[in-house]
Amino acid sequence: MALQHFDATYSAQLGALWPSIRVALLSERKYGALLNHFSHNLDVEELQAQGCKDFISNGEGKPEEDSSSVSTVTHGGGSRQPSPLRLSPNIRCLVFPRGDITRFRPARPDKFGLLSYYLLDAASILPCLALDVQESHTVLDLCAAPGGKALVLLQTQSVRFLCANDLSVSRTSRLKRVLQSYVPKALLTDDKLRITSFDGTIWGEIERNAFDRVLVDVPCTTDRHSLMEDDNNIFSRSRVGERRSLPQLQAELLLAGILATCPGGDVLYSTCTLSANQNQAVVQQAVQLAEEQHGIQLQVISLCPLAQMFSNTFHFAPNLHLGEMVIPHLAANFGPIYLCKLRRLT
Amino acid sequence: MGTRVVVLQVLRQKLNYVPNSTSIPVQFKTCKASNLPSSLSCRLLCSVSNLTPSLLQHNKRNSAELSLRSLLDMGFTEYQAEQLYDSVSRMKGGNAAKHVLSTLSVLFVLGLNPTTVHKLLDKCPELYTVKDVQLQQRITQLRHLGLVEGSLQRTVSHYPKILTVPMKSVKSVVQFLREKCLFTTQQVAEILRDSPAVVLEDLDQLEYKFQYVYFRMGVKQAEMVKCRLFRFSLDNVRCRHTFLERRGLYQTPDKKGQTTIINPKLDGILNVDEGTFTADVAQASPEEYDVFQKLLAREWKEEEFEHGSIESYSEDDEKEEEEEEDNEEEEETRGKSGYNKKKKK
Repeated sequence: MALQHFDATYSAQLGALWPSIRVALLSERKYGALLNHFSHNLDVEELQAQGCKDFISNGEGKPEEDSSSVSTVTHGGGSRQPSPLRLSPNIRCLVFPRGDITRFRPARPDKFGLLSYYLLDAASILPCLALDVQESHTVLDLCAAPGGKALVLLQTQSVRFLCANDLSVSRTSRLKRVLQSYVPKALLTDDKLRITSFDGTIWGEIERNAFDRVLVDVPCTTDRHSLMEDDNNIFSRSRVGERRSLPQLQAELLLAGILATCPGGDVLYSTCTLSANQNQAVVQQAVQLAEEQHGIQLQVISLCPLAQMFSNTFHFAPNLHLGEMVIPHLAANFGPIYLCKLRRLT
Repeated sequence: MGTRVVVLQVLRQKLNYVPNSTSIPVQFKTCKASNLPSSLSCRLLCSVSNLTPSLLQHNKRNSAELSLRSLLDMGFTEYQAEQLYDSVSRMKGGNAAKHVLSTLSVLFVLGLNPTTVHKLLDKCPELYTVKDVQLQQRITQLRHLGLVEGSLQRTVSHYPKILTVPMKSVKSVVQFLREKCLFTTQQVAEILRDSPAVVLEDLDQLEYKFQYVYFRMGVKQAEMVKCRLFRFSLDNVRCRHTFLERRGLYQTPDKKGQTTIINPKLDGILNVDEGTFTADVAQASPEEYDVFQKLLAREWKEEEFEHGSIESYSEDDEKEEEEEEDNEEEEETRGKSGYNKKKKK
């Protein structure tokens, strides 16, 4: 069902790229191992011995720590000079080399019961990197479950306060369990972490102008998952209405996230779908609504330097006029992940 | 008729060995004198008129004299004769030597020249161990199945192993092809001619391959024969097809036999080298096909291991009725099961 739908939509949207993406989506995905700073384990050495590398420190050119210096990234056909881009610090994620299909073994707990790494789609790290969490920032993760990205954010060790929210209660309890498996209790106290189960779309009424950084990783058609799992599939007939109203829900969530951000703060919108309807179109819609309904001016921050930096690990869709998108490819079977960064000017 | 008998008798004389029960090939059409060693053909021409009944009751001798001399007399060059002699000497038991000469004679009667025979035995030393009677029977069987003169010799010389296969096995493969796969007799003969190794294939594998191509790929018998499908391994066929299918370039025909795209022809998929297949048919990079083969091999191995059992994980019951599945991240404890989390549609 999902496949038919994708064939119809994406062959038009992605053109010649679609066959390569299609075969990658239908084949086993590739994972990355997010290293857990709070654990002490020999697992990591073993992994490195097998050939894994941290893709973040192995990007082309270095992430800028100081925003005043110009990025030295020059990669391929780029006539415009990439503007400096800061990334969240301290995040490390091991991946096997390009074309290597070795699987990660499950992580084992150390003597304190904390796991040494968390397996996730390495491309999922990109939105957290792009969010650029800096020392003592307050961060809101609006759709946080199952918790991988929240965990990434905590790895930066720069978050003064993290609010992790998800609509579903059972999913937030899963989120709690994830965090407890990785982060020492001392860092999960109420003054550092708040886990809530509110409807994200109403956040504008709960808290406004409250966070330095907001991550809006919205529910979407989860393309890869929808192709492989029949259970409760979003493309089933019983969920047609829900699926069709996704873009609207996504725009509402993004708008709420924007409202929750302090002026001068950043919002990062991300999805795991290839669909332009749920990606660029949603961003444009939310930006427009923010201006029209709330008089908020937003600036799009180009993620081109990020894409260039990690083009040796991921395949990015070329010529996206708004945001960046990791597309699946057999030799680098990560994604799909779409990301777009906005800055609140007013 | 007479010529045929004479040839055999002449050979017997020459070899000083009379096998009791060499069966005379029923459909032996012509004996090309030019295929015989020149010494023999001269003899043949000379002795036709001198046929006497006594020739038909030649003295039986129990042991054959396998010697370089006898090999040379059959028409082998010195080099070839030495090689043959060595190979046979190295084989265990005196029986090898006893049978070799009659085995060789059967091959000559088939119409093969000494060089071909030598190459054949070099390629397939197992032939030494096949009794001449069996050998003759198998050749006859192949003739019955439609391998006509010319084809028969070509097939045997390219794939001598076919003569080491018991008649029963050949029969069961042929029966399978005719009755289960509904190939015509003519088609079966062509398959034997073009892909003789089919007689050695496991019937289950053969069935899977046929059904895969027939149902999954929607290809009919005639095309299978034309493309020499049975020359290719199941894995090869499956891999190339699955690559195309997942790229969206090959569709299984529906009940009416229709597809919304034009499928590439089986010939164009199989009978090209990997580079051409990847670049032209699949329109992909070599790197993609490379990784794909590895991934698929692993998939199959795991399917086999699990015998198609449904994978279910008790921790995986986090599905909500109203919520989206935001599952691009997997629970740590699932580890490997996260990789296998798929139920193919």
